[in-house]
Formats: sequence, structure tokens, C-alpha cells
Amino acid sequence: MLKEFLTRLRFFIAGRSHDEVDDEVRFHLEQQIEANLRSGMSMEEAQRQAAIAFGGVERTRAQCREIRPGYWLESLLQDIRYAIRSFWRNPTFSLTVVLTLALGIGSTTAVFSVVDRILFRSLPYGDSDRLVSVGLIAPIEPEEFMLGGSYYEWQDNQKPFESMTSEIGAEPCDLTEHNPARLDCARVEGNFLPTLGVSPVIGRNFTANEDGPNGPRTALISYGLWLSRYRLDPSVVGAQIRVDGEATEVIGVLPKDFEMPRLQSADILLAQRLDVAAQRHADPGHPMWAFARLKPGVSAAEAKAALGPLFEYSLRLAPAPFRKEVHLQVRSLRDRQVHDVRLAAWMLFGLVLAVLLIVCANITSLMLARGASREKEIAVRLALGVGRMRLVRQALTESLVLSLAGGIAGCLLARILLRIFVAMAPDGLPFLSKARIDLRILMFALAISILYAVLFGLLSGIRKVGLEALTGRTRTALRHTVLRRWLVIAQIAVCMVLLAGGALLARSFWNLDKQSLGMNAENIVTASIALGQSSYPTPESQMAFFQRLERNLRYGPGIAAFAISDSLPPGGYHRDQVYASLRVEGRPALSSGTGGTVVSRRVTPEYFQALQIPIVQGQGFTDEEVRSNDRVVVLSRSLAGRLFPGQNPLGQHLHLHNGAAADADPTYTVAGVAADVKNGGLAEGDEPEYYQLRREQAQDWDRSAVLILKTTLPPGATEPWIRSQVASLDPTVPVDVKTLSEKVGKLADRPRFEMLLVGFFALTGLLLAVIGLYGVISYFVVQRTQEIGMRMAVGASRADILRLVMVNALRLIVPGVLLGMALALALSRLLSSLLFNISAQDPITFAGVTGLLILIALLATLIPGSSAARVNPMIALRHD
Amino acid sequence: MPQPTDLLQGTLDLLILRTLVLEPMHGWGIALRIQQVSQEVFQIGQGSLYPALHRLEYKGWIRADWKASENNRKAKYYSLTRTGKKQLEVEIESWDRLASAVALVLEQG
Repeated sequence: MLKEFLTRLRFFIAGRSHDEVDDEVRFHLEQQIEANLRSGMSMEEAQRQAAIAFGGVERTRAQCREIRPGYWLESLLQDIRYAIRSFWRNPTFSLTVVLTLALGIGSTTAVFSVVDRILFRSLPYGDSDRLVSVGLIAPIEPEEFMLGGSYYEWQDNQKPFESMTSEIGAEPCDLTEHNPARLDCARVEGNFLPTLGVSPVIGRNFTANEDGPNGPRTALISYGLWLSRYRLDPSVVGAQIRVDGEATEVIGVLPKDFEMPRLQSADILLAQRLDVAAQRHADPGHPMWAFARLKPGVSAAEAKAALGPLFEYSLRLAPAPFRKEVHLQVRSLRDRQVHDVRLAAWMLFGLVLAVLLIVCANITSLMLARGASREKEIAVRLALGVGRMRLVRQALTESLVLSLAGGIAGCLLARILLRIFVAMAPDGLPFLSKARIDLRILMFALAISILYAVLFGLLSGIRKVGLEALTGRTRTALRHTVLRRWLVIAQIAVCMVLLAGGALLARSFWNLDKQSLGMNAENIVTASIALGQSSYPTPESQMAFFQRLERNLRYGPGIAAFAISDSLPPGGYHRDQVYASLRVEGRPALSSGTGGTVVSRRVTPEYFQALQIPIVQGQGFTDEEVRSNDRVVVLSRSLAGRLFPGQNPLGQHLHLHNGAAADADPTYTVAGVAADVKNGGLAEGDEPEYYQLRREQAQDWDRSAVLILKTTLPPGATEPWIRSQVASLDPTVPVDVKTLSEKVGKLADRPRFEMLLVGFFALTGLLLAVIGLYGVISYFVVQRTQEIGMRMAVGASRADILRLVMVNALRLIVPGVLLGMALALALSRLLSSLLFNISAQDPITFAGVTGLLILIALLATLIPGSSAARVNPMIALRHD
Repeated sequence: MPQPTDLLQGTLDLLILRTLVLEPMHGWGIALRIQQVSQEVFQIGQGSLYPALHRLEYKGWIRADWKASENNRKAKYYSLTRTGKKQLEVEIESWDRLASAVALVLEQG
């Protein structure tokens, strides 16, 4: 066996010249002729008999060549050379195929990379499929949470879980050592890491004692922090660090890929040190987020059912108005992480599928056209004795070369597209920035291109070509013409769906972008500041800092107005509470239900002036009130209308925390009514809102605040000045300076991303569909050149011919558009949750898209149409 | 005179190997020898001898060398290799088995 292989290898490498076979055959014939001569034949007869005895010399030569090892490679190379030569002769065709494939494979691969990271990535926890997120959902907080008053009861009495754990959130914290740093500290229960199935790379987890309220302070640090601050020095375990002024011992380092289950960023993990005994009796207790590991074989739904009695217990603790609106939620951790990304991911998937459909249709139709135009050539080769297998192989080789070229171009395109996606994507899409084109995905793309190759190769190779094709007068192409027409109709239909989706999202984005925010975000620079816990431990010191900062900034160059608030419209963080907790003095509170959410902000008087929010009733806040002890509020117009229907709200008295102890629920006087401002994000509905006055009293201040500066100078000049002013007061205080327009723009990132993505695919689809249509119509024109010539010869005008071509095109366009419209109307409902202020079946959009598609499609037929009209009848008729 | 029997597939290999046991030979000689020895029963299509020879050469059963022929012309002489000799035994044995099996069927028939 080995010997045979080696022998073959030797011949494979050394080869054997054709002359050698020729010499051998010549010698044979000469010997035979001599023998014949000896037996008394004439020279002529001897030669004739020798040739007869030998049989076909050419056949022997061919057979000898075919059994040579390496013959397959030789013929493959020959096929490839032939393929490249024939592509070279027809560059438009080859380029179209390669580009079409590249677009298809490129967008598929890029999107697959993205979707893979979002939907199918493995979570960095042990046996992560058994991890669930457990909690209550309420209108005010649609993502499940827990409360200390219930959590420990659940933890003790639950049945479906192996273990249950909690975290109480991640917050900014300060590393107060030499070289201080602002970090994120997450506080977690002692059993947090074991429940998630995570073990520290070095060091250990918290002990039960360390999680107690009086235990020693300990921390685990993230791998990133270990790398950047301690240069992977293992002696960090056991070292003392100061977190917010408290001496804390580092007991371990988290794995490199560790992430919090809710994906908050966390540099330091601290034990949450809650007083469990106190929490059990607290009402409602500390807010927290709970995660659990299911027992083997238990599903999330079964766990939810099993938690029923415990949920009933928690409901009894809740205030009556809430009970109907609180629900139990148990879902896989993955679901919690991707829930609102899932729609976007599936949308992407759908888009790619649509483009892929168009690509396939296009390639098939191009290959069919090419096959039809090469019928004659194939017939000639068959007649010359080329084996059919060889023809099929040749066809396969050609498509393989094409699709590999397309595949490689597609991989390049995928890299570029992925980079564009990542650059465009809003922050809210988790993991996108980590998306890579990995080997699996590359293989996926190559597999697709090879699949294409085999498919098209067989399609064009298997076709039976009769010898009558030699005459050039066959109509076998007719059958394929019908198939091609359907392919174009399908392309136009899919393209219509893409365009309709793109147009809907574009108009929705336009509405979003052009909507009135209820304020003027122009020339507003904002600075968000959070003071360190240890440097500014008391509200007094915090107020003093902000007041000094205000004095330094208020009369700076170009500052027209200055205000301090705790949050900013139109989106992002703000304080909120339920409507039921507001009570007008002298009236009973809302008896049933929560009444929905009410937003509130604590602001200085110039807030309304800075943001140009009109005060529609009363006078808003005054500087006298800032220095007084009065408690005043300004209501938004919608809140005033709801609390005081048909009455004058000014001077009315109001309680803001109904149900709390009397000293925590003072009486406020309504000082004015402000116009409504967008406050629930850009796309979501607005909530009623009230503003409390931020007075010169420590109780009105806390660690964080956002400064609002209306400036007459360009914001670019104001920003560094604000930074320097903050730094001159305290260089360790981090400050985040942004214009309000930037902040608003960031809120629109997501819809912009969605619109651009769909738009990109819609344009790609349109381009491909136009190419497909153009191809079919040009083919139609070439095929009918003779007929056109005949028509012209019997008196048809150029306009008649153009009309003939156009009518033919319309026969493809109209059914395609109608089909697409039906599909788009059915599918656009899926988009409706992404649309803002526009119906998913908006007639104007659909009419516009239809018109556009028909127009572009007709334009695509104009080129072949006009070339048909220029046909010279004399030449056309002579054409065989 | 009976019609010459068509060469069974694979028989040609056996005949070539058997012919080469005696001495190295060139293609024409092999064809001639097979024809003579079989008393003209096997009419080898001379042209199809060469692909078979080359195939055996690629398998390593026979070797080819260019040598001067009896009438002093350059000719390609094929000779049996060691593997070829072993292979010949295998082929003869399997041929015998086949032949006796066929004979058995014919007798029983």
C-alpha cells in the first residue's frame, strides 16, 4: 500500500512527458509494420494493418494521460484557467456575480456575528442554563426586583432552587488612597459567586461572617482592576485598600470574563452586609435583585408555579393599591439580559434572510442567462467528444471559482460592515462592541459560498443540451425564462418589503427627531457631578460645595442662565413615584390602584428659564423662597389638570408622600404650573411631573447634582472652562460635561441605528433587485433582437419598441410590487413596537415606496429598452 | 473457428504479469506473446495494452526502463518488481479459485 502510494507520488511529482507515450506507441507501430512486411505485405498494406491492430492512437494517448496520478489536478487547473478566461471575456457578468455574492455573504456574516454575540453567546457562569432571575414586577419597575422584607422569607422557604442569591446594585465609589480613583462598587450577598458558579482566579469568596452587618470589610476586585492598578501582582490578596474611606481587605480577584448578571460595570465586589433580622421585619425593606440556580430538571415555569405561595405572602405585605399591579416573574438570566434586544436581533436576522433571498434569486437568474447564452458553445464541445461528466465538472469549477472570489470579498465586506455596525450601535445593545468575526462564522460564510457553487454548478452543468443547439435556433431557453421571470418577481416583492420597513422606520425617526420636547435644548451645557462619600460625608458639606461652584460659574463669560437639578429631561434617570402617593389636602387619596408614575425633580429657580419651559400659571420659584422655609412645588400642566380638574391649582396644599409618617410628609404649596416637558424618553409616553424647589437648606441636597448652563458662547468653549472651575474647587471630583443636545441625540441612537440598518439592507436589496431586473430585460432584448428587427421592418416605430420592452418589464414589476405590498402589510405589524407616531400600515409611506420602486424599476429597464429601440433592422434580420 | 473471447476485466493485468515473469519485454512483445501463447484466442486490442501497462507501473507492480531493442532501437522494457511477483501469486490464486468455481457450476448445471 505504502509502496504504491510512493510510486504514485513519484510519478505525480516527476510527471511523464507526452513524448514518452508517443515514442512508445511509435516503436510499437514500427515493430508491427516490420512484422507485417516480413509476412509479405506491401508497405501500404503493412501500415494499414498495423494501424487497425493498434486501434485509435489518439484514444490510447488520452487513456494513458487520464490514468496518470495528478491528472485530476492537471484537468482542474485547466478548468480553472478556462473559467478565468471565460470570466475575463465577460467581466460584467463575473463582477455582478462576485459583488452579489459578496453582498450576500458579507451582510450575512456580519449580522450573524452580531446576532451570535447577542442571542447565542454563552454566559460566563457555571452551567448558566440553570440560572434564573427571580422577582416582582410592578408598573413602576417592569424589570423584576425584590425587597428585603420578602427576599429572606423566599430564600428560606423556596423549593425549586438549589440556591438563591441577591445583589443590591452597583454605585460609584472612591478608592481613597494615594492616586485616588472613581470606581464602580457592586454590593452582593455572601453566596453570590457560588450560586452563579463563579470562583475567584486567586483568593477566596466572602464568608458568612463578612456578609454580616458587623463583619470585617472585605472585597473582591475585578480582573481589569487587578491588571491596571496592581499589574497582576498576586500579593494583592490580603492587601488593605480604602473604599470610600473605609479600610477594606482584598480577599480575591474575579475571573477575567466576570460580569454582573444585570451587566452593570463593577470594579469591586463588596459584601452587602445587610442586617438580615432587621430586613425580615422591614417594610418594604431594601430593594435588591435576586438570582437563583434551578434544581436539575426544574424549568423556570415550574419554579414560578412553585413560588406561588411565597408570592402570596409578599402580596399581603404590599400596600393595598399595589396588589393588583404586582406580578411574579421567573425567567432565565439570558432572557433578562437580552429581552429588549431580542426584537432588534430577530429583525436583523429577517433583514439578512430577505437580502439572502434576493441574492440567491439574482445569482440563479444570472447563471441561467449565462447557461442559455452558452448553449451553442456547450453543444460544440459535446460534438467534439467532451464527456458530459467533464462538462459538469467544468461548470462546477467555474461556479466554485466565482463563489470563492465572492466568499473572499464577502469576508472582507463583513469585517467592514461589522466595524460600521459597532460604530453606529447605541450603548444599550449589550456585547455588540465585543462582536468578532470568529472562525465558525467564517466557515459558515465559506460553506454558504460552496453551497452556492454546487447548486449553480449543477444547475448549469446538468442541463441537457441537444445537438440541435448547434443551429442556434432552439427555444430550450424558454423554460428558464419563465423561472427567471418568477425570480425577478420574487426579488421585487422582497425588495418592496425591505423598502417599506426602511421607509416606516425613517419616518418614525423623523417624527422622533422633530418632535417638540417642550423645552429648548440649544446652547445648554450640562455638568453631572457626584461627590465622593468620604470627602463630602454630610448634606451640609455637599450643599456648600455646590453653592461655591454656583458662585464661581453663575457670572462666568457668556452664561445667560444657571440652574441645578438632580436629573434632566427628556430621558434617563429621574426620581419617580406612584400617583397614589400624592394627596391634595382636604381630599381623600386615590382609593384603588397606583394611578401610574409621577416624575419629580428638585431644581433651583432658574431651571425653567434656562430650559425655556414656559410657566403657564403663577410665577414659578423665586429667590425669596430659596432663602425661606416655605415648601413650594411647581406642577406640570398634565399633573395640575389631573389633581385639580376645573380648579385653580395656585395656592393649593399638597402632600407628596401620602402614607408616610407625618414628619416625612410635609405640606407643599403649589406655586405655579409649567408647560409639559417630554420626560419618559423620546419614544415613550409622558408622565405627569412636579418640581420641588432646591432651597438653601441641607436637606434639599445630596451627593449628586447636574448643573445646567445656558450659554451664549459656543459650547466647545464653555466645556473646558466648566471643568477647570470644578477642578479649582476640588481636583478629585469627576465631572461629566455634555451639551443637552448631545444627551438628547444619544437617546435617539437606538432608533437611528435601527433606521440606518434597515435602510442599508433596503438599499442593498433595491440595488440587487434592479440588477436582476436589468439582467432579465436585457436578456429579453437580446433574445428578441430578430423579432424586434422584423417589427421595425414592417413599420414599428422606436416608441413602439420601447413600449414593447416596458410593457414586458411592467409584467414583472406590477405583480412583484403587489405581492410585496401584501407581504409588507402582513409583516410590518412586527415593526409596530419600534415605530413612533406612525402606523405600521401608514398609507402615505406605502404609496411612496410603491411609486419609488416602480419608478426605479422602470429606469432599470430604460437602458436595455433604448438599446432595443436602436436596433438596426437590416443587421437584426441578418442575425441568425 | 470460435470467436476470440473478450478479455475479462482484470484478466489483462494477470496476463501481462504472467508474461513478464520470464523476462523484461516491450509493449509490442507482450502483445505478441499473449497472442501466440493463447493460440490467438486472446486478440488484444493493442492500443488498450498501454493504459494497462501504465496503470500497473503506477501501482508499482512493474517497472519500465528505456533500453536498446534487439534491432538496436530505443524501446521501453517492462519488468516485474518484487511487489509485482507477489501480486502475480495472489492473482493466479484468485483466478484458480474463480475458474474452479465456474467449472463446478458448469458440471453441476
